Amino acid sequence: MKIESVRSLRGPNLWSNQTVLEALASFDGPEPLLQAQRLARRVLELQVAVGCQVSFCEARPVSERQCRLIIQYVEEEVAKRALELALRHPLSTPVQEVRDLPTLRALAEEVRLGPSTGSIVRAAERRGIPARRLTGGSLVQFGFGSRRRRIWAAETDRTSAIGESIAQDKDLTKSLLTAIGVPVPEGRVCTTAEQAWEAAQAIGLPVAVKPRKGNQGKGVSTGLDTREAVVTAHEIAVAYDGETIVERHLYGADHRLLVIGDRLVAAARREPPSVVGDGQATIAALVAKENENPLRGDDHATSLSKLRLDAIGVEHLAEHGLKPDSVPAKGQRVLLRRNANLSTGGSATDVTDSVHPEVAARAIEAARMVGLDVAGIDVVATRIDQPLELTRGAIVEVNAAPGLRMHLEPSAGQGRAVGEAIVDSMFKPGDDARIPIVAVTGTNGKTTTTRCITHILARTGLRVGMTCTDGIYVEGRRIDTGDCAGPKSARAVLMHPRVDAAVLETARGGILREGLGFDLCDVAIVTNVGEGDHLGLNGIDEIRDLARVKAVPVRAVSARGAAVLNADEPLVVEMAKLCRGTVVFFSRNERSAVLAAHRAAGGAAVTVIDGQLTIVRGRQLTQVARVDQLPLTVGGRVGFQVDNLLASVAAAYWLGIPVDAIRAGVRSFTSDVASAPGRFNVLTHQGSTIVLDYGHNASALLALNEALAKFPHKRRKVVYTAAGDRRDADIKRQAQLLADFFDEIYIYEDQCTRGRSDGEIIRLMREGFVSSSRSPRVLQAPGEMAAIGAAIARLEPGDLLLCQVDQVEEALAFVNGMLKQAETSSRPLAQMAANFAAALMVVLSGMSGA
Amino acid sequence: MHIRKIFDLDGPNIWSNKPAIEAWVDLGHFEELPTNKLAGFTERLMGYLPSLIEHRCSIGERGGFLQRLETGTWLGHVLEHVTLELQSLAYSPVGFGRARETLEYGVYKVVVRCASPRFAEMCMRSARELILSIVDDKPYDLDAELKELRIQGGHLCFGPGTQAIVDAARARGIPFLRLTDGNLVQLGYGKAQRRIWTAETDATSAVAESVAQDKELTRRLLAAAGVAVPTGRTVADASDAWLAAQELAEPVVVKPVDGNHGRAVSIRLDTEEAVRAAYELAAKEGSGVIVERFIPGIQHRVLVVGDQAVASVAGDADVLQGDGTSTIRQLIDEANRDPRRGVGQTWVLSRIELTPIVLELLRRQDFTPDSVPKVGESVLVQHHGDLTVDETERLHPEVAAMCVLAAQAVGLDIAGLDVVAADIGLPLEAQGGAVIEVNASPGLLAHLKPLTGQPRPVGEAIVNQLFAPGEQGRIPLVAVSGTLGRTETATLIAQCLAARGHTVARADSSGLHLGARTLRAEPAADATSGRHALMNPGASAAVLETSERSILEEGLSFDHCQVAVVTTSVGAEGLARPGVEDRSAVDKALRAPVDVVLPDGFAVLNASDPVVAGMAAHCKGRVVLFGDSPAASPLKEHLEAGEQALVRLGSQLIWWKGTEKFPPLTVSTLTESTDLASVEPLMAAAAAILALGVSGPELQAFLNKSGY
Repeated sequence: MKIESVRSLRGPNLWSNQTVLEALASFDGPEPLLQAQRLARRVLELQVAVGCQVSFCEARPVSERQCRLIIQYVEEEVAKRALELALRHPLSTPVQEVRDLPTLRALAEEVRLGPSTGSIVRAAERRGIPARRLTGGSLVQFGFGSRRRRIWAAETDRTSAIGESIAQDKDLTKSLLTAIGVPVPEGRVCTTAEQAWEAAQAIGLPVAVKPRKGNQGKGVSTGLDTREAVVTAHEIAVAYDGETIVERHLYGADHRLLVIGDRLVAAARREPPSVVGDGQATIAALVAKENENPLRGDDHATSLSKLRLDAIGVEHLAEHGLKPDSVPAKGQRVLLRRNANLSTGGSATDVTDSVHPEVAARAIEAARMVGLDVAGIDVVATRIDQPLELTRGAIVEVNAAPGLRMHLEPSAGQGRAVGEAIVDSMFKPGDDARIPIVAVTGTNGKTTTTRCITHILARTGLRVGMTCTDGIYVEGRRIDTGDCAGPKSARAVLMHPRVDAAVLETARGGILREGLGFDLCDVAIVTNVGEGDHLGLNGIDEIRDLARVKAVPVRAVSARGAAVLNADEPLVVEMAKLCRGTVVFFSRNERSAVLAAHRAAGGAAVTVIDGQLTIVRGRQLTQVARVDQLPLTVGGRVGFQVDNLLASVAAAYWLGIPVDAIRAGVRSFTSDVASAPGRFNVLTHQGSTIVLDYGHNASALLALNEALAKFPHKRRKVVYTAAGDRRDADIKRQAQLLADFFDEIYIYEDQCTRGRSDGEIIRLMREGFVSSSRSPRVLQAPGEMAAIGAAIARLEPGDLLLCQVDQVEEALAFVNGMLKQAETSSRPLAQMAANFAAALMVVLSGMSGA
Repeated sequence: MHIRKIFDLDGPNIWSNKPAIEAWVDLGHFEELPTNKLAGFTERLMGYLPSLIEHRCSIGERGGFLQRLETGTWLGHVLEHVTLELQSLAYSPVGFGRARETLEYGVYKVVVRCASPRFAEMCMRSARELILSIVDDKPYDLDAELKELRIQGGHLCFGPGTQAIVDAARARGIPFLRLTDGNLVQLGYGKAQRRIWTAETDATSAVAESVAQDKELTRRLLAAAGVAVPTGRTVADASDAWLAAQELAEPVVVKPVDGNHGRAVSIRLDTEEAVRAAYELAAKEGSGVIVERFIPGIQHRVLVVGDQAVASVAGDADVLQGDGTSTIRQLIDEANRDPRRGVGQTWVLSRIELTPIVLELLRRQDFTPDSVPKVGESVLVQHHGDLTVDETERLHPEVAAMCVLAAQAVGLDIAGLDVVAADIGLPLEAQGGAVIEVNASPGLLAHLKPLTGQPRPVGEAIVNQLFAPGEQGRIPLVAVSGTLGRTETATLIAQCLAARGHTVARADSSGLHLGARTLRAEPAADATSGRHALMNPGASAAVLETSERSILEEGLSFDHCQVAVVTTSVGAEGLARPGVEDRSAVDKALRAPVDVVLPDGFAVLNASDPVVAGMAAHCKGRVVLFGDSPAASPLKEHLEAGEQALVRLGSQLIWWKGTEKFPPLTVSTLTESTDLASVEPLMAAAAAILALGVSGPELQAFLNKSGY
């Protein structure tokens, strides 16, 4: 068994809408598929054994000895380690006996969210709110873009920093609570032991002594009734902060009341750690024995923590005349410290249902006065089901970022839905914190469609984030450059604090490599599944495989969302059945059978009727605009741009954009050099027409040829090179299509040979040219700019030149420069021609144009 | 000279509408010794405090107080002026004082306005010591005393940023309450309140502050949002740090992941030795270490409040010039003598300390602290020195937008962005500039007191962030004073407001209440209780009884009120503090709420009590009188002037607006023979309720329901 490669698919992917590991493994023994299935199942079992909730795995044969394993994960690192373990140990060993299981468990504990944060995140996910961890710690972001919220353990992004500072200062907290009539233990701030004793006498014994600023009950002593005890307690507490508070000792039990927003959500009674004597064992032995209880852990993962006999514990025993090696009588309960914090071994009993409404009201007032949206209120009272005034109880502390563990998994009593309460306080009912997401995929027209939708949405005042092959744009500003049609860029847009809506070009590469960058989308557009696009790469050999990849966004459409599908492409039409939401078809052909059937069933579509771009729903027709009046179509001539507009209108319509706004959007959307460089930019020069475009595949060429056929011309010329990472057959096919249509062809080999040897692409193209029934003239230039330069220099009135630019920005700048020179007529084109001609080599002399 | 007692009048009081302290000073035998009889006193005093020449005193011109000293004035008066001057020299200028004789021989009331009562007390005690030393011609170390006072002022008074916010709030008519001796301040009252703590607001997110603390996380979030940040990464150890520096192939900055104010940050390192040393230094902070590209240029601090960049200051390197004789250590000491230098946010310039970072910087210039630089030779002691040059107007809109975006990415409502750029007037990308840090709770001083350029209204920006235009953070506030019937009046008003849906905080002689709940069952007609009522975030209205005694000894708990009710002044004579004052002080105390009625508010005054009716002249709002004879003065004139009054006619109460007469209110407990005094509380309350805009029928319904 050998693992060739492992990928983490971190979003919906070819195999599943869950996060999965995709591993390619080779097997030597018999029945490789069976072996692969067992291996995958073992990896799953190991994850389950350490507390990861996963259930899906499969194995598929790839070749005779190779299989692909697909294994669900929730924690990527755990799954990868589990895969390593599965390979290292015989699959026959029972899971629980795998030797390294404890290290896997330790890893899971380390990377997994703590119980408090975990409870909130799970509650959010149950409400359909997306959650994403921002660090290895407890910082989690909910939702997307401008609607996002954050938590850090039990703090929300609305938890006030001032509120936390106030809560940290017990004296200030007490003075604020006193002001609003919340019972607190009267007390004084002391810096010396002498002051502490004076204060104790003034307040009346017994008293409690605690550090002025502190948490988790550190340094707190209670029930002090002698000078000696007060002085000692002061010395302990003063070490923390330099100041102590001496206050009235309160009788009764410690309670923790959890206030979220203006609601009391949970309450627990907390008991200090203790052991009960058996008449034989020492206290130390009793502690050791109790620590063997599996409920007691070293961290926050279990409902009880281990008991500690540390300095405070020993001191506490000494106050009662005991030592760790004292032997308590049978049945005698020995307290190991006074405070009841879980972290020092205390226990918690849920008492939520017994809290007196007046006590709850005081706790809520206390949280509001301190200024905390989530607060743990410590109440000491003999009874929690009576008003504090009656029991002489008091609120002793207000805690920011309270631990939730004691309410989630109390040592006794019912667990409470505190994660839900926090999520409900952050998000109104029905609010899932999402922003509209449009994913655009397909072979051709993705970028233009992406830009067009962005344009329509932005005009309505939305702050749109867009990813495409040209970069990431937010509110029209480019924040990243390069090919940004992958999941990382999508995530960057969804994280952006200002984005109200996201339009994401979603290319094949990213889907295969990492899955989608989002879990759900509102609209998934599939423009087409073109001939010859990237076949033969990454195990995608057939166009059907490609269609499966392009269908991944369709599978991620939410139940309320829609897939916008090209009705003219059978492979795209088939995707309709994968969509959980609605389907909106688009086609230039009003009479398309798919469209007709869909309309008959009451479905929505966008099409062209009597030259009008029209939204159709059953029988209801909404005219948007005359197609030939939309600048993108160049007078209605460019068919594939009409397709792009139809898809864009369908998306905008589904997002609820008013028709007037859609109309204004498509009317003002252009594809000029500035707004959409290299996307069918049409330039004219002294009677000739130059079209700059980008597509390098057969289906793009077919679409271009169709559009260019409608442009008046005497001769058609093209500058072209094929990308080296296409299959030989595809390169030849492209060349053939060029020869079928153009009269003069300028080819070059440049930046994009992508692994092929020099001259190879030219050779393949040559083979394609000769397979055409036409024989155009073919000239080879030494590079892209040389080819473009030569073609433009040799332009004559009536020529139609298509430049398939590769290095978009450079080429556009080059073309602009040449045309400007020619127009200012310092050097007419004819003069430049000679220079370029020198570098040209004749590949095929051709018949036409002669 | 002995200070018998000091009252903290931490609110409007009988002397002034601003906080002050009132000291009772017994001059003892100095009652016989005015300044002109104390040989050399004036010269010596002026020697210590030459700035006293500016005190105009009652003479009303520069040098006025000096003239009084020369012609002879009593030491109580001197104490007032010296206390004011010490406060001004040590912390912040205050300009109001009074010294008044009392009925008791040799005892004066010395009143001094203050920024903080406790600080003013300290200054007064120092002033007394100084005066007595001068009398005895003993030496007094004024410099040392001022230094100490300055430190205490820093603890007890608002810091400059807080002061700016509070001043801006006051200018918008927003009240404030101090919640601690420090800078935690409540702006507005009751449920309309907001809080600030220096440059944090109650909307400043704790999570966002934690994010800002984590430099690596912040950089990641900023980069993802498209904010220009320096490239770099966290490193595992010193070797990794050097590796990271080599990857960047440019000079680097080494800093702790978690930190602020430039602690343990080393800049512009380009050798392995320097990078390793810087790593060790940063690693001591214990939070991990980042190595990132050094961004050349000038450090700027851009202040973002809400969605606006409101101010920007530029800093420059701190460079000392050699004089050919002093060591660097001496040059630093000399520079630190600049009174503008200090440690913390109160100082415009920071003290130069020989920290390991500065020592390393010196070493790289081939200096030690004991080197003696040549005349005119420059010694760099800080790459990014103090921020002193306001450049707000030059801030490029794209840089401003990027700073706002950075604050939003972190999640802060108020943030100080450290931006390094050669020119803040150009977009960052073009010049390779970057946002290098996002700071929560930024210092505001650099924007308030730039050494060059214009101060910026950052306090205003913060207040505008907290309160929408036109909002003043006020809730309806009714103050009730008077010698009799206060509690009944206050209770009735509160009940009526409650019936209209308000949660009323009421502090009166029966206790402190919120709605139906009694928060404290002890007499609460004092300033502390009033403040507690106004601090209550549940209160949508407040009714505060104010006793004369509490006004004399504490001042009022509020700055202004909508309605001030004065029931009567009967028996005021008996309330004056024996031996110290006569009835006039009590009358002023009864009037204190009337003095601070808002311009759109009302004073409700008893027309039958001449002292009370006379308070009308002090009211900045409208006046409503109540009484029982519309034909008699002053009701007659009042109604003739078109003003409002509630008049009792037999068994009826009638509301008049000038000549307009509204349907009578019937009160079952009122008969022809009812003594006027016994219905005054009811009338005062009814008049106040009508002044608050409650209609007659509504009031009638309330009275019926309440058993009247």
